[in-house]
Amino acid sequence: MFKLHPAYALGAAILLVAGPLAAKPIAFQDGRTLMYEYGAGTMQELQAYYAPRYWYSVGAGYLRLDQEDHRFSRDITYTRLNYLVRRWNLSSAQANVFVSGGVGAARGSDFEGTRFAQNAAVQADYETLTFYSSLKSDWQRSSEFSHRIDTLQLGVAPYRHRYDGTATWVVAQARYYSGGLYDGVEGALLLRLFRGPVWFEAGVTTDRKVQTMIMFNF
Amino acid sequence: MKSILVAALAALVFTINAYAAEPVRTIEMNVDGLVCAFCAQGIEKKLRKQAATDDVFVSLETKLVAVALKPDQDIADATLKSLLTEAGYTIKEIKRSETPLATFRAAAQKP
Repeated sequence: MFKLHPAYALGAAILLVAGPLAAKPIAFQDGRTLMYEYGAGTMQELQAYYAPRYWYSVGAGYLRLDQEDHRFSRDITYTRLNYLVRRWNLSSAQANVFVSGGVGAARGSDFEGTRFAQNAAVQADYETLTFYSSLKSDWQRSSEFSHRIDTLQLGVAPYRHRYDGTATWVVAQARYYSGGLYDGVEGALLLRLFRGPVWFEAGVTTDRKVQTMIMFNF
Repeated sequence: MKSILVAALAALVFTINAYAAEPVRTIEMNVDGLVCAFCAQGIEKKLRKQAATDDVFVSLETKLVAVALKPDQDIADATLKSLLTEAGYTIKEIKRSETPLATFRAAAQKP
């Protein structure tokens, strides 16, 4: 019987309540995006993209995964194409659906040598000036492993930010790692700030570990 | 010498009058999807690259993107639509006015 993961169920509920479903892998035509995320000791990821058009970007990334009890680790270097499937520009909101895919090379502490790796991701988001939601599933696999990182984020802004001001968001996150990386669903509470082309967020997880991300659009 | 001074004064008066007579020309665009300052950076970047652009103002609150034009210059509606699309947004309405951007900025400062 088909079982729906709780994170997807909540995401589907948001979609139903909030209508069509944004950190986005595509900035704007001729835009460049640089992102680094430290995910509470379990994941670290560096990504760099260039968008020839507003609806797709190409780039590369490095992902480090560490099993929570240090039983194994992965080092994955990859290339990726991000494609904007659909964008809804509404009068007081924006929603997006992105898909991504690519190939790379992976090494692991529990196997010898380098393996060919594939990656795929889907992301849906919906935001207004005071509400933010996103659901992303990011999958990495090789002949030696298969890991998926599902991330649900819900955010509220205590005030409506101005274009030339600093935006502040409080974001609650639920993250699920498959493939034995982490047992259960990891929660986190994040403070997100952005101003101009710089985005920074930091917070703590339910295991009292630090999660942080910094992103630049230029 | 006196005639030079008179001519210079006349030129100055003419210049001042010419500037006073030149209407401020602003393009006002009502834009859908304008909810995130970080994501909207591309709009300003693209509009500032236009030779006719003197200044740009963006308001998330009123969904307004306004462009102050240089004297005797304009940007075609089709170009504006294309630029905003490339930035990832949708223009709902375009109009031209004589409202200076300072007016929009002052309104945005009000709580």
